[in-house]
Amino acid sequence: MLEIRWHSRAGQGAVTGAKGLADVVSTTGKHVQAFAFYGSAKRGAAMTAYNRVDDAPIMNHEKFMAPDYVLVIDPALVYVADFTAFEKPDTTYIITTHMTTEELIASQPKLEGKKVYTVDCIKISQETIGKAIPNTPMLGALMKVSGMYEMDFFKENMIRVLKKLPQKIIDANMIAIQRAYDEVK
Amino acid sequence: MADTMELRDIEVWDGNMAAAQALRQAQVDVVAAYPITPSTPIVEGYATFKANGYVDGEFVMVESEHAAMSGCIGAAAAGGRVATATSSQGFALMVETLYSASGMRLPIILNVVNRAIGAPLNVNGDHSDMYMGRDSGWIQLDAYNPQHAYDLNFIAFKVAEDHDVRLPAMVHQDGFMTSHTAQGVCTLSDEVAYNFVGEFQPMNDMLDLDHPVTHGVQTEEDWHFEHKARQQHALMTAVMPKIEAAFAEFEALTGRKYNVVETYQMDDAQTAVICMGTSVETAMEVVDELRAQGIKAGVVGIRVFRPWPLEQLAEILKNVKAIGTLDRSSPHGTVGTLYNEIAGSLFNTGVKAVLNNYIYGLGGRDLTKAHLVGIYQDLQANAESGTLTTPLQQYIGLRGPKLSFF
Amino acid sequence: MEKAGWDGFEIGAMLRSFDGAIQDIATTLPEDRAYSQANSFTASVADWRINKPLFNKDYCIDCQFCWIYCPDMSIISRDKKMVGIDFDHCKGCGICVEVCPTNPKSLLMFPEQKDEDEALAQWPQKEKKEKEAGVE
Repeated sequence: MLEIRWHSRAGQGAVTGAKGLADVVSTTGKHVQAFAFYGSAKRGAAMTAYNRVDDAPIMNHEKFMAPDYVLVIDPALVYVADFTAFEKPDTTYIITTHMTTEELIASQPKLEGKKVYTVDCIKISQETIGKAIPNTPMLGALMKVSGMYEMDFFKENMIRVLKKLPQKIIDANMIAIQRAYDEVK
Repeated sequence: MADTMELRDIEVWDGNMAAAQALRQAQVDVVAAYPITPSTPIVEGYATFKANGYVDGEFVMVESEHAAMSGCIGAAAAGGRVATATSSQGFALMVETLYSASGMRLPIILNVVNRAIGAPLNVNGDHSDMYMGRDSGWIQLDAYNPQHAYDLNFIAFKVAEDHDVRLPAMVHQDGFMTSHTAQGVCTLSDEVAYNFVGEFQPMNDMLDLDHPVTHGVQTEEDWHFEHKARQQHALMTAVMPKIEAAFAEFEALTGRKYNVVETYQMDDAQTAVICMGTSVETAMEVVDELRAQGIKAGVVGIRVFRPWPLEQLAEILKNVKAIGTLDRSSPHGTVGTLYNEIAGSLFNTGVKAVLNNYIYGLGGRDLTKAHLVGIYQDLQANAESGTLTTPLQQYIGLRGPKLSFF
Repeated sequence: MEKAGWDGFEIGAMLRSFDGAIQDIATTLPEDRAYSQANSFTASVADWRINKPLFNKDYCIDCQFCWIYCPDMSIISRDKKMVGIDFDHCKGCGICVEVCPTNPKSLLMFPEQKDEDEALAQWPQKEKKEKEAGVE
């Protein structure tokens, strides 16, 4: 069982990202689950979303999760959210920041000794999509770090997931995914 | 003619999308609806499909849930295939009209996305609204995941609309835990799905102008009792065989098998948890882990909540030594509903299982595997001593000092 | 209604108006319609009456007020002409008399046992309009 926790702000697309990832993974015959903690919170409130992936049908519906990957798509959340909750010794962190990995760890000592990768999904999405929607670039970074799928396969499926959007936006998302894949460190 | 929608064999859908797609594939004639979290995307989905030409039907926007069900009653009496969705406070507002729908024998399908009832206001999932509907005369089917939410809608139409049944049916799913959780859903093609449900066969419909009827008549002490008795007779005798037949036909079509009572590892189980919704599946996973340690634990899931499967449960539970009933609703002044129902099902059977009650998960509070392991440990102790080793009703997953009653 | 057991009626709080199929109901006279036993047309409430309305066609102007106001559809009208009263369904409420605008009234209430010919023979004369005294 592979388990992923997203830390996001409501409106940044973590739910869409989690569901999009589940959709792509499902095409390979694996079983998936994507869900989120919702409240009546407003756009901008800190929230979490989750993915489970397994070869067998997923029966577990508990919200509790000890994640294999923690994806933080808003740069401020590493200072205000409990993003290391229920971490395992080998939990991998991919964090959106304008800083280098070393600078980030220096500013947030909770990350010391952890597997930490950084990528500036905010900047990438602003420069490609035109808005701070850091969900799809984070998926590009996850593909690189996890080695889950080949980039061509992933992008082809993401085009299908995003098919209701205008072509211009889909194209921009593909550039964003590729940039995050190339830039994550 | 509505357009056909091409679906992949497995779509990643949440429970709401699964239910909305089922309403589209059943080609529901009328949806009268008022939005409420977390059920809104079901009727929103139907409206979108209709606007895009995938359904030949009518979407009626109304001013309240009371009006939504009233509109459904009118449309069903007129002679259409009718469905809607609601949750929580909206369900509560609908309750008065639920009794009208069942008493008038109108086969409406209501998707209830289970949610807590305030105060305090809460949008998350528990079973308070589902339990509120239990005396309303509706058939109540319970989904544990998005696949079930999809499949059970087809079953519900087929059973409810049968002329030997003619009773409305609810399809329940857990708010957020199912409704907003995307999982793989094995789809049916539009044609296969529609053919399973079948063309709507009207009965006593008001639009049959050659046979005028008066719906919603008044009866006093002279005939009211007989009408209610006849309704109960249908619910008690006609529904279960039709549900079982529909389950069998659905299994032959899809390979997916549903049972009136779902069981997991119950053949030799000494302890059993009885619950509903997503908790059933989480408990199954816990049982796998306990069985690996040699603990003979099992799970019983209620699939058909109304009519209540009394005989089936008595049979399934006859050799179990300790039973934990899990209620995701505050019973406010007594034991939980499942405790009551199970106690009532076993009382005259000679089964001497130790029975206790857990109140859990109110307002969306997580039911973890660790909680379930703790429950099975209680049950194991009860089974070994043959008597209650804990208070009868315990709260689990609650802050602060342990809370229990009786 | 015929006495039946709990399973002796059709399901639902539903009653049929007619036995079998009907067509052109609007142009079929009530007495020619195949009303079902469940329809109130087949039930008589004649014994509810203490007083009954009687109709004097000499004064009737066929305004149809009585037909419109009767709460039990007991005024028989054909081709917009007042014909008489359906005494199976009239409860003797007197509303038809109340709304009758003629002078004298074309409908008057009499004790149930009153002979119709006798009543018609006693029908009051036209009332003369008197200047009301004492009103300023």
